[in-house]
Amino acid sequence: MPQLNPAPWLSILVFSWFVFLFVIPPKVLNHSFMNEPAPQSAEKPKFNPWNWPWY
Amino acid sequence: MMLNFFDQFMSPVLLGIPLIALALLLPWILFPNPAARWINNRLITLQGWSISQATHQLFTPLNQGGHKWATLLISLMIFLISLNLLGLLPYTFTPTTQLSLNMAFAVPLWLATVIVGLRNQPTIALGHLLPEGTPLPLIPVLIIIETISLFIRPLALGVRLTANLTAGHLLIQLIATAVFVLLPLMPTVAILTASVLFLLTLLEVAVAMIQAYVFILLLSLYLQENV
Repeated sequence: MPQLNPAPWLSILVFSWFVFLFVIPPKVLNHSFMNEPAPQSAEKPKFNPWNWPWY
Repeated sequence: MMLNFFDQFMSPVLLGIPLIALALLLPWILFPNPAARWINNRLITLQGWSISQATHQLFTPLNQGGHKWATLLISLMIFLISLNLLGLLPYTFTPTTQLSLNMAFAVPLWLATVIVGLRNQPTIALGHLLPEGTPLPLIPVLIIIETISLFIRPLALGVRLTANLTAGHLLIQLIATAVFVLLPLMPTVAILTASVLFLLTLLEVAVAMIQAYVFILLLSLYLQENV
């Protein structure tokens, strides 16, 4: 089986890891995901105002 | 020189240039970099959607520590799925049929999961070598068996992908040759064989995607044990 010829093994390892580390992750990481649009409700949510000091 | 069906797996070289380099560099043209826009075109939206779905599926069962591996494993998934699927087109070379490539990914990533487990939680990681509820006299035997199964994992991971893809490509070539040879002799049989070829190709498309997924899934399982 020609796959078992060990001659190109090191170059295949180096090259495939190069592609796997430097070509694909930037493409994957550039995808950004938006929050789901939420319907605006009639009443504003209750909130507690900031009442403790800046440290 | 006899026709050798394994010749399709030889790392192709043209004028001294190893073409596996092209086979590894060109598929990523199909994944355009998303622009900094809120809404992109259909291709990028679809790819982004499938990436987020896959990430959600794979990493929900893992705890926080395992989520650090998300970029790596999703990149690997995109890598393997694209290479597998593009290899089904005629006259393309599939780098994932090369044992060297699959072992090059299986061994370091498996080793990384083991080392992470042994470094951060050595007791738990070693504890996986003995299943719960083992009867006392069986304990030494079982530890040996579990250790062997641990070390066979990277081998199985690499060889599984290689063998599945190689076998698929080989079958396609065999049946296609049969159709081609039968066409002038017995056209009806040739048409039946061609329908077998069609079904086989559909199977291979499924296998291509499944095998890539299984690779990643197993790595995430090994990660789950160790993180």
